[in-house]
Amino acid sequence: MSDIVIKAAGWIGPDGFGNELAGLKDWPAPLADALRRGELEELRWSKLFDSEAQRFARMDWLSRLGLMAVELLDTRFEAWAAQDREQTAVCVETTCGCLTSDAEFLQLARPSVFAYTLPSTVIGEICIRHRFKGPMLCLMSSGESTRTVIDEAAVWLREGEAKACLCVGCEAVSPDAAALLSPGMVLENSWRAYALLLGRKSGDPREHQLAGGTLAEICRRVCRAVGRC
Amino acid sequence: MGAALETTLNRRKAALRPRRSARPRAAVAGCGAISATGAGVESLADALRENRSALRANAAYAGRGYQTTVAGWVPEETIAQLAARNPDYADARAFLLADAALREAENGLPTVAAERRALVLSTTKADILALERVFHRQPCSETAHRHVLPRLLAYDLAEAHQVRGPVQCVSTACISGLLALQQGASLIERGEADMVLVAAVDLVSHFVLAGFTSLKSFDVEGCRPFDSRRTGLSLGEGAGAVALVRRDLLPSPAWTIAGWGSSNDANHLTGPSRDGSGLALAINRALQRAAVAAGEIDYVNAHGTGTPYNDNMESLALRTVFGQDIPPCSSNKGMFGHTLGAAGVLETIVCLLAARSGTLPGTPRLSEPDPVAPKSMLTQPQPAARLRCLLKINSGFGGANAALVLREDRS
Repeated sequence: MSDIVIKAAGWIGPDGFGNELAGLKDWPAPLADALRRGELEELRWSKLFDSEAQRFARMDWLSRLGLMAVELLDTRFEAWAAQDREQTAVCVETTCGCLTSDAEFLQLARPSVFAYTLPSTVIGEICIRHRFKGPMLCLMSSGESTRTVIDEAAVWLREGEAKACLCVGCEAVSPDAAALLSPGMVLENSWRAYALLLGRKSGDPREHQLAGGTLAEICRRVCRAVGRC
Repeated sequence: MGAALETTLNRRKAALRPRRSARPRAAVAGCGAISATGAGVESLADALRENRSALRANAAYAGRGYQTTVAGWVPEETIAQLAARNPDYADARAFLLADAALREAENGLPTVAAERRALVLSTTKADILALERVFHRQPCSETAHRHVLPRLLAYDLAEAHQVRGPVQCVSTACISGLLALQQGASLIERGEADMVLVAAVDLVSHFVLAGFTSLKSFDVEGCRPFDSRRTGLSLGEGAGAVALVRRDLLPSPAWTIAGWGSSNDANHLTGPSRDGSGLALAINRALQRAAVAAGEIDYVNAHGTGTPYNDNMESLALRTVFGQDIPPCSSNKGMFGHTLGAAGVLETIVCLLAARSGTLPGTPRLSEPDPVAPKSMLTQPQPAARLRCLLKINSGFGGANAALVLREDRS
């Protein structure tokens, strides 16, 4: 029996957004069609955009979506995060990484864009916002490798390298970026993000154990939400 | 550094408890390298012995408004030879370099079943030259086009090297190489593989030259790590490969990946923290995992990019961890440049070559050490009194820091 549990889960994608407590919420009708078409500019989020509007305006969509998924974790995340920021790890997986920023930089070289031409920049943004100083890792993965980042996080937790680990998966592929992919590569979903907070079991009945049916169910829900069944 | 911070870090250091693991250790079985110094580990060893800088200007990139074209360019004749040997991948430069480094690393190793072989690739931009060609609608083979995505480059390398076990692709800025070695060692410790091929590659291209020019990050004459006159970095291209196997598959003595650690500064996207506390945290984590005390480290291979902020930060971090007794240390970026995603692996190979020769590397292009730099910073190669524990460190964009401890195992 695993002693590692999912403390909280949040996700955002063309079909809606939510967390494991509230379930999936649909986008309001006028926004839904635009978001399904990948028009992310329509996506505004007062919780994030109003408080640090300038900072968010500078970010690429990979970072914005990753941060949004983290914000969707419920208040237990805030409580966990505050416990020991130096011992909170961040593990990111992405398939296409920063290809959108790459395409933008190739069109016009600007320092503000260059900073986002690394897939791991989203980790920096998350760590700056939440002041996390734990171990970090960014894996370029295939679509079915969510399990890999969860595995890595579980190892860190079991070996005492971190007290909590934030697993984040994100994609944000603009049409310009998609045009750079090799022929035959099919993108299931041009944008989506999820965040899972993993930690050791504490007895909270809402915790989802990493081994067994509950985890499988939550992973299925996350995968359904981000279009990666 | 503030006294409070120093006290906190020292208290944390004191709280670290050595721990020993009964699980299989990962040991280094072979290495391969291609860099501005040429093809093969021996060309790198020669350059280290001579303390020679291989940085040079490149006329092919002149006149485009870059701050400089001085970088660690892999000689074109080396690329041409590799392409001639591998015509199916002739324009897939990242694959050619990584594949050649892997072949050298694998040479003469014990046979391991394909299912028990894993591959971990480290890169920041994979085949960035292919991406540029695709963007500008220039001819690009289907193979090179695939390598626009790092994971597809990893899969093609895995197939070419008979890997049927786990395949991972690490892309975590300039600490990618050390994290790839960490992941490789972890796969062996967890029993998921008996051999892990760790490959690392990055290329110099218009994209990266334009990027670092936009940040005004270059030293136009070539980088001078830890020098009081340093003004910036020099890029480099190349590939490194390290074959890791289960320790019991190798005779004694062998060099093991004893410990690793990483951290985030949580401070700035493109600049390091000013006090070095993040890097000190990563080093302490690596020492703790290796169950090695700071005083046991015999040599530190620094990140040493040559930017004013990085080298200051690194000096402070080393002082935080080692106090006034910083072990001999040096930086190789004045030799083959900052190879980004390949840096951690290539510079780890430098550590292993130092162990093999019993000679500590110098710091090419360092002539006037900054007063802030460790007094033990080596300008020239020098014989080592003892080499049993080595520390390799890197930092990168996004506040990333990583450290790796190598230890000679005589058991």
